[in-house]
Amino acid sequence: MADKDVRETTVIGAETRISGEVRGDEDLVVRGRIDGRVQLTETLTVEAGGVVQADIEVKNLVVSGVVVGNVVASASVKLLAKARVIGDVTAPRFTMEEGAAYKGRVEMGEGEAARALEKRASRSVETPRQAPRLAAPARAAAAAPRHAAPPRVAAAPVARPALPRPETAAGVAPAWAKKKLRRR
Amino acid sequence: MAKDKDRPMGNTVIGSSIVIDGEITGEEPLTILGTVKGKIVVAQNLTVEPGATVEANVEAQSLTVSGRVTGNVTVRERVELRSDAKMVGDVKSPRVVIADGASFKGNVDMDV
Repeated sequence: MADKDVRETTVIGAETRISGEVRGDEDLVVRGRIDGRVQLTETLTVEAGGVVQADIEVKNLVVSGVVVGNVVASASVKLLAKARVIGDVTAPRFTMEEGAAYKGRVEMGEGEAARALEKRASRSVETPRQAPRLAAPARAAAAAPRHAAPPRVAAAPVARPALPRPETAAGVAPAWAKKKLRRR
Repeated sequence: MAKDKDRPMGNTVIGSSIVIDGEITGEEPLTILGTVKGKIVVAQNLTVEPGATVEANVEAQSLTVSGRVTGNVTVRERVELRSDAKMVGDVKSPRVVIADGASFKGNVDMDV
């Protein structure tokens, strides 16, 4: 569609706010606000007046506005004079102009970004708060326990494997029983 | 920002490779070329360009669709489904225009 226009730019205007997740393969300019998570293979520019409160994963980050959140950039991070940034930054190159305000930890150097991404991927089970979606009722239905826990009746031991499992037994058993178990 | 100054469209533009999962709220025109899932509330015109996909409930002043919209739409002025539009969902708007070639499945409520 946009063949002639080699690289598009996405703009979040000053009067627009996004809460949730933004992903993409093009430049993104924020004059408004994003809360949640941003993942781009290109450059994220937070202009003066723009606010991004999110975990950020980009190639380049240029900030003149406000950023709160951890940043992993595969190429560079630039904090311009009016930037206000709170959060850890991992990037091969990190520059800060006079006038910029920053609080956080910086890790520079090749490979750091990749490492940080790996680390983040391994623990990113927690998703940022999800905005309401179309499929919410269906999702809720799917999330509901499909089978209620079977009532614990006398039949339970029959269903259980006959193998004794000392470690779990020790975990559940009262102190006196534990002592016995240990003696065994 | 030399790149976007010649854009004839609104102040907020979601480019074609962008995927947004969540909620967009705004007081200015919004143009979508990419994908938005969740919810959109804008006080101005919302334009869904050809190639764009919107899977969201939409509230807007007016809505112009050339792409694909799935979701319920509440608009204060006018909904226009252009000839490339593909829309599934209920539309509530005082004025609705559906061009020849547009595909639409859902209820229309024009408050009559």
